[in-house]
Amino acid sequence: MTAQALAQVLASGLLMGLIYALIAVGLSLIFGLMDVVNFAHGEFLMLAMYATFGLVVLTHLDPIVLMPVVVALLFVLGGCAYLGVVRFAMRAKANQGMVQIFATFGLAILLQGAAQYAFGTDYRNVPGSWLGGRTLDAGGVFLPWPQIFGAVVSLAAFGGLHLLMSRTDFGRALEATREDQGAVALVGIDRNRVFALGWGLGAALVGLAGAVLAVFYYIHPQVGASFALIAYVTVALGGFGSVGGALVAGIVVGLVEAFTAVILPPAMKSVGVYALYLAVVFVRPQGLFGRL
Amino acid sequence: MIRRREILTGGAGALALAGLGLGPARAAPSEVVVGVLYAMSGANAQVGVDARHAIETALDIVNNDHDLDLPNAKGTGLKGLGGAKIRLVFADHQSDPQKGRAEAERLITQDKVSAIVGCYQSAVSSTVSATCERYGVPFVCADSSSPSLHRKGLKFFFRPAAHDEMFSAAMFDFMDAMRNKGEKIDSVALFFEDTIFGVDSSTVQRKLAGERGYKVVSDIKYKTNSPSLTAEVQQIKTANADVLMPSSYTTDAILLTRTMAELGYKPKSIIAQASGFSEKATFDTVGDKLQGLISRASFSLDLAAKRPMIKTVNDMYKARAGRDLNDNTSRQFMALIVLADALDRAGSVEGPKIREALAATNIPGERTIMPWSKVAFGPDGQNVNADPVLLQYVGTSFVTVFPEAVAVSPAKWPMNA
Amino acid sequence: MTSTTLAAVPAASPEAGFAARRRRKLLVAAVVFAAIAALPYGITDVYLQNVLILTLMYAALSQSWNILGGYCGQISLGHALYFGIGAYATSVLFVNYGIVAWGGMLVGGVLSALVALALGWPCFRLAGHYFSIATIVIAEIGLLLVHNWDFVGGAMGIQWPFNPDSWWTLQFARDKVPYVHFALGLFAVVWFVTYLIEDSRWGYWWRAVKDDAQAAESLGVEVFRSKMAAAAVSAFFTAIGGGFYAAYVSYIDPESVMSFRFSLLFALPAVLGGIGTLWGALVGAAILIPLTEISRSYLGGTGSGIDLMLYGVLVMAIALARPEGILSLFRRTRSARNQEATP
Repeated sequence: MTAQALAQVLASGLLMGLIYALIAVGLSLIFGLMDVVNFAHGEFLMLAMYATFGLVVLTHLDPIVLMPVVVALLFVLGGCAYLGVVRFAMRAKANQGMVQIFATFGLAILLQGAAQYAFGTDYRNVPGSWLGGRTLDAGGVFLPWPQIFGAVVSLAAFGGLHLLMSRTDFGRALEATREDQGAVALVGIDRNRVFALGWGLGAALVGLAGAVLAVFYYIHPQVGASFALIAYVTVALGGFGSVGGALVAGIVVGLVEAFTAVILPPAMKSVGVYALYLAVVFVRPQGLFGRL
Repeated sequence: MIRRREILTGGAGALALAGLGLGPARAAPSEVVVGVLYAMSGANAQVGVDARHAIETALDIVNNDHDLDLPNAKGTGLKGLGGAKIRLVFADHQSDPQKGRAEAERLITQDKVSAIVGCYQSAVSSTVSATCERYGVPFVCADSSSPSLHRKGLKFFFRPAAHDEMFSAAMFDFMDAMRNKGEKIDSVALFFEDTIFGVDSSTVQRKLAGERGYKVVSDIKYKTNSPSLTAEVQQIKTANADVLMPSSYTTDAILLTRTMAELGYKPKSIIAQASGFSEKATFDTVGDKLQGLISRASFSLDLAAKRPMIKTVNDMYKARAGRDLNDNTSRQFMALIVLADALDRAGSVEGPKIREALAATNIPGERTIMPWSKVAFGPDGQNVNADPVLLQYVGTSFVTVFPEAVAVSPAKWPMNA
Repeated sequence: MTSTTLAAVPAASPEAGFAARRRRKLLVAAVVFAAIAALPYGITDVYLQNVLILTLMYAALSQSWNILGGYCGQISLGHALYFGIGAYATSVLFVNYGIVAWGGMLVGGVLSALVALALGWPCFRLAGHYFSIATIVIAEIGLLLVHNWDFVGGAMGIQWPFNPDSWWTLQFARDKVPYVHFALGLFAVVWFVTYLIEDSRWGYWWRAVKDDAQAAESLGVEVFRSKMAAAAVSAFFTAIGGGFYAAYVSYIDPESVMSFRFSLLFALPAVLGGIGTLWGALVGAAILIPLTEISRSYLGGTGSGIDLMLYGVLVMAIALARPEGILSLFRRTRSARNQEATP
């Protein structure tokens, strides 16, 4: 393998990894806040991609310009998902874990069916974006601009999230609620409101990922499924609830996937990622940065 | 209404008889029920939606009076059955062999279908053909191209279109012809998905490449619906074969094309095993990057210059589906035309009689919309006269480039100089 | 009338009352099973018989899952692996070596149990979602391996040859009644095993592990061995179900027996019907399977996605509205998970 080919694998893995991290972080955030794994996460991503597509078709503006609108829409969707479904799942007195899994799983199927109903089953594609199809040739190593953009957005989102969590009242409320759900009520924080906002934020982050992805990926009611499993593994690898862990794990997953495809037959490239997850949790059952 | 009467009058006895394809004798049935089985939900649902439009177009032609030189186009209904019309019952198999089998049984026993048309995914066609065999109901396999299907010794299996070996042979015939013209073609890269379709297609291609002296410099099986194909494309790019031969469904065809462009790779030439590379969605999305792509096909729209009725049929389909007929939809259309021809000659809605009629099918190529020489089935149910063609994507449409007898223009070769 | 006499007994002593309740459960089961066994003689429509077979099969598989997931509290979302091992062992042995399905299922079952033990050894150190995701990931690795393993047909899968109707080969061309009875038999066996376990030392241990693993350990329950035993029994019966599925459909390929949706389908009925109970899996399957089958058959042909929406709403509604009383034993709170995490 030449140095150039190696650099290409490294760069591609890194770019894809940052995008995986962006897809996964919302999931991790929601889990950290309230111990719920959202099995409809992939469908949120799918809806964000359709939202981008729909807005571009309607307004003829560039997907980059429309990104804030998509993020806002997904924020609302996330909040509604919490208030409409998850809130009730959390009320279950027994067997809460299973109720949450299957309530969000049911939501996932509903959203898939709804997308099929609304948008049909054809493969869609965001027409004519400014970034679409452009590639940076860095001395024989090719870096697609949409993915570079995605990676930058991902890093910016993680930076922004860090500031939000550490510098704002909302962030502190989130942090306090995840530390002790009971105690926050005593200091006058409305738990339900924080959870709804947390879900909104988690969905907004995956909305950002969807808007980025829509520029260089096909759009289809089932598209979320391709990314969902990677997102779950990324979150668990980083440690459930750890935002920084999601970033590191995303990058690691991207790189391991890229290198596995070089070593094993490409059809088995996910095996590398899965094996890595197992190897990590067998040694560290709480993932890389998780708390027990 | 037939169904209700049978159940009411006959009870269990009638059910058993109907199951054998020997329902109560009817002098002139007012309709013939045909089952159509496709994935209508899930990742490949678009194929089912398009198939529905294609088969409904054929239904329109058979049931209503059309001035076209297709079997049963003129006049209404099936004359051999006293003008009876065909009624379609659609079912969804969700790409699952078990569900395909269950739906086939439901169509046969509840809806009393006289024959079934389907099923795109070869794995599903496999269980559906076995079920039809058990109930003695003909299965007209429209568009599954796995060669294993007609090699099971099934008596009720019929495939009017070509299978992968015929398709791949045409690709290599073309490459041989280009070689004879002095083009340098030494190496091929196989790129195929990990499904029956991909594996079957690549197995034949690997064998043919060996036999005809082409070096396989890259042989990549990838996981279908992967989030990224960067690593795979990197390997194809390094190998840089003279011809890239992909066997991919739509999702991966789009992703493959995009990723090649992103990694700055322009393959010298592409000869595709249709599928994703004959779907409108692919060309809507990445058509600009596929100029000069060659794909095998059962169908070619430019044949309409010789046979104007093809344009009429295409317009009828386009009015329904909003797109042109393609490799898949043309085969789905023909499946019902071929079946209707057999129903007409059988003069019966009973499985064994329809089977006999299908086996005796002899439709000249000019009376189809395909470049086929004729439709006539071998003892294994395969139409060996379903000559495939190769099409090249130029501008925004496909042009027939091979075989020379039907070619409209010579192939641009290589695709990217 | 026997049941009333039995019911009258318990007043005498607590032990006698307990024994009588146990006997009454058996009697109820016998009546239910006999009624189901007679069903296919009333329902002669093969489509409905097929729905019945799938319902019973998923009930049996879900009850097998329930042994590990419901009774022992280890939420596996990777049981498709064991289902696949059973389906593949049965198919390979029958198609390549002529060994009848009964033998193949047994081999597949034992193989699955061994795999479950080998995997349980590292996995049972994991808690909560880490465990569940590990099971998903392992099943996915299995799927990828089978996909790329030519000896078992790879992506091409395995087609069973046509065989004359016989119980010996478990092949019936059109007759569905034997399959109904086999699926019912499988459910009955798994039900009976669960019934026996409920009242055994293992049963108490499992419930203790589920409620509070740490406390159980301090009371002398061998937590790790308990989990291992539950995993082995659960995997064994899941593989038998896989072998049955292969014989019934007569064709398998990796996606059609090992994909993730099977893992969910094994858990769903038990969860909906009542986790960790004797009848939850059957009740759940009896609601879920007919509804999904019938909605697909009669709404799916349009390609509009309405059947999916209906299925999704149904799963959500049942998960949210399900009475909590049935599952009162199982609580996964934050503290329980945290305690469980320390082996």
